[in-house]
Amino acid sequence: MALRTPSGPPGPPRRRSASGTRLWTWLMLPGTLWMTGFLIASLILVATLALGTTDPLGNPRFGLNFDNITALADPAYRIVLLRSLVFALIACAVCLVVAYPVAYAIALHGGRFKHLLIAAIVVPFFANYLVRMYGWSVVLSDDGPVLKVLRAVGLADGHTRILQSGVGVIAGLVYGFIVFMIIPLYAALERMDLSLIEAGRDLYGGPLRTFFFVTLPATRQGAAAGAVLVFLPAMGDFVSAQLMGGPDQIMIGNLIQDKFFQGQNWPLGSALTMLMMAVLFVGMLGYLRRTRKDEAEAAR
Amino acid sequence: MSPEETPPPSRRAVLRSGLAAGLGLGLAGCGFLPEDRNAFGDPDRPIDVKPDGDLVYFNWADFVAPAVFDGFEKEYGVKVIQSNFDSMEGMAAKLNAGNRYDIIFPTAKWAQRLTQGRRLRRIDHSRLKNSGAVFDHYQYFADPWYDRRSAHTVPFTMYKTGIGWRKDRIGDDLAGSWDDLWNDRARRQVFVLDDRDEVLGMAALKLGLNLDTTDARDLARITDTLKDLRPRLRGFSSDSYNNLLNGNAAMTQAWSGDMAAMLGQAKDPSVLGFEVAREGAPINSDCYAIPANARHPGTAMLFIDYMLRPENVRKNVTYIGYPMPVHGSEDVYAALVRPFPHCLVSPDDLKADLFFRNASPKGEQARDTAWTHVKAG
Repeated sequence: MALRTPSGPPGPPRRRSASGTRLWTWLMLPGTLWMTGFLIASLILVATLALGTTDPLGNPRFGLNFDNITALADPAYRIVLLRSLVFALIACAVCLVVAYPVAYAIALHGGRFKHLLIAAIVVPFFANYLVRMYGWSVVLSDDGPVLKVLRAVGLADGHTRILQSGVGVIAGLVYGFIVFMIIPLYAALERMDLSLIEAGRDLYGGPLRTFFFVTLPATRQGAAAGAVLVFLPAMGDFVSAQLMGGPDQIMIGNLIQDKFFQGQNWPLGSALTMLMMAVLFVGMLGYLRRTRKDEAEAAR
Repeated sequence: MSPEETPPPSRRAVLRSGLAAGLGLGLAGCGFLPEDRNAFGDPDRPIDVKPDGDLVYFNWADFVAPAVFDGFEKEYGVKVIQSNFDSMEGMAAKLNAGNRYDIIFPTAKWAQRLTQGRRLRRIDHSRLKNSGAVFDHYQYFADPWYDRRSAHTVPFTMYKTGIGWRKDRIGDDLAGSWDDLWNDRARRQVFVLDDRDEVLGMAALKLGLNLDTTDARDLARITDTLKDLRPRLRGFSSDSYNNLLNGNAAMTQAWSGDMAAMLGQAKDPSVLGFEVAREGAPINSDCYAIPANARHPGTAMLFIDYMLRPENVRKNVTYIGYPMPVHGSEDVYAALVRPFPHCLVSPDDLKADLFFRNASPKGEQARDTAWTHVKAG
């Protein structure tokens, strides 16, 4: 491993000797180590492997080989990447529409049950995502309980399907990640100064106008944070498309997973990962610029 | 311990050195550099067949009857420490990371790769009391393609690939051909396995091509055939057993062992069918193997011998639903799969030799690209 022991014992602090500064520096250590090991190192590993090759045993080997990068030009990847982008964006929008009223009701009308209600939303997410999705795939199957009931009451016929459709996959994504939208929205609504709403009403704003011109702008940052938290994992997800989707719903995560497993082509999988991250990064830039602007406004 | 502990107490410096350490760690990339021939221990050392510690066992989940484990632990006074893999690739990744197991169960293709990579200990069959039941009766395994003279492996289970279907949904008169997947009655209710080799191989057999061709023209024809099937598919899934039982599939490409196991789970097995195609059924087998870096190869040898005892073979065959090439277990398996006679794997099936083999890295890549096109549409 590349960790080296520093030469010599720690000397006395040279400049800023305030013990407070030192304490904070030490407190940064765990976070830094974490990011070093699990973010930077892994990222560099993936980036380097993208230029690697595969030996006859299927093991990835470092190298300087640009075949994997040129292979990304294959239109198949473009189609699937675009589809993933669209699915993730739709999932994000649906999450926002569903999560907002939930967060609003809990934050503003939850009263003393607030924390209980939030717990009720979070606790199911302690169970593994894969297991929950697998459960859904059984419940929603053609001979499963949901469709049986719908057929019995005449809301579905023999040809109605829930699984293996775009709706199924997006529903899976929404279900899987909606909690990441509810929590930041709840936090934003909870923090909001309620007298702002009263002020809106005092200025003759109706309930709707007050909501759109006061409440919504005041919680914009929470919504943006939630959108990012939902969009990023939804874009890379493969479980939903695997269990709820058919041949026309395959997402980029499924292809990447295929490269690492069946394809035994870690380098191409790494290259695909880098491509996906590049796309996500472009999307993130917009978010970062927006939040910076918001911060600047807040500082004024 | 790490560069972060150097004194200058500036936060920026801490972050910067974190970045540097990350670079170092990433590039060190434990294990993706070429290695020497016997990095995992000399595979040719003879094994002393006696209990030399607890058995570290690595297999698919639920692939040995629990009673058989109990019997082994009691008889030899050792523990079986179990861990499971969910794919061959996952198994290989664990081995490559240096994890040490005493017994593993690679498929034929992986047995060949591991043998060529000098990762498997040589197994002297004369030290196994029960090996005759395998090698004297199943000529094929005396010298299989994946391991010369079975010098590093003992076969474990076998299976074929065919078509499972719901008779109550599409009737029981199928044509016994891969063309059945194109049957109009099953349109949009057909699944194929989420498995590159099986799907490309199915189309190859239908077209009369080599099972695991890497030829560009062949692969183009295969891709076209599968793109023709695609609009009729409901999905790619290897969960054939559940797809048939919960009604998502009227028909699915399926492994014989899964179909045998499904017989035991179905409320009414008479609505289910399983056939193999006359154009050919891919066949596969997996085997017992002892990694070159195993800590307790002696216990592993005893375990293989114990598993080959007729009474244990019968217990396992009944438990997992896959036939084993062990003389004396055939009647038990035939009784188990009486409604699905196509689940049986005969010496003739083995002789047809429709195994998926390893291709060159270039060939594997060509097949992989074809699979991406089939899947992405």
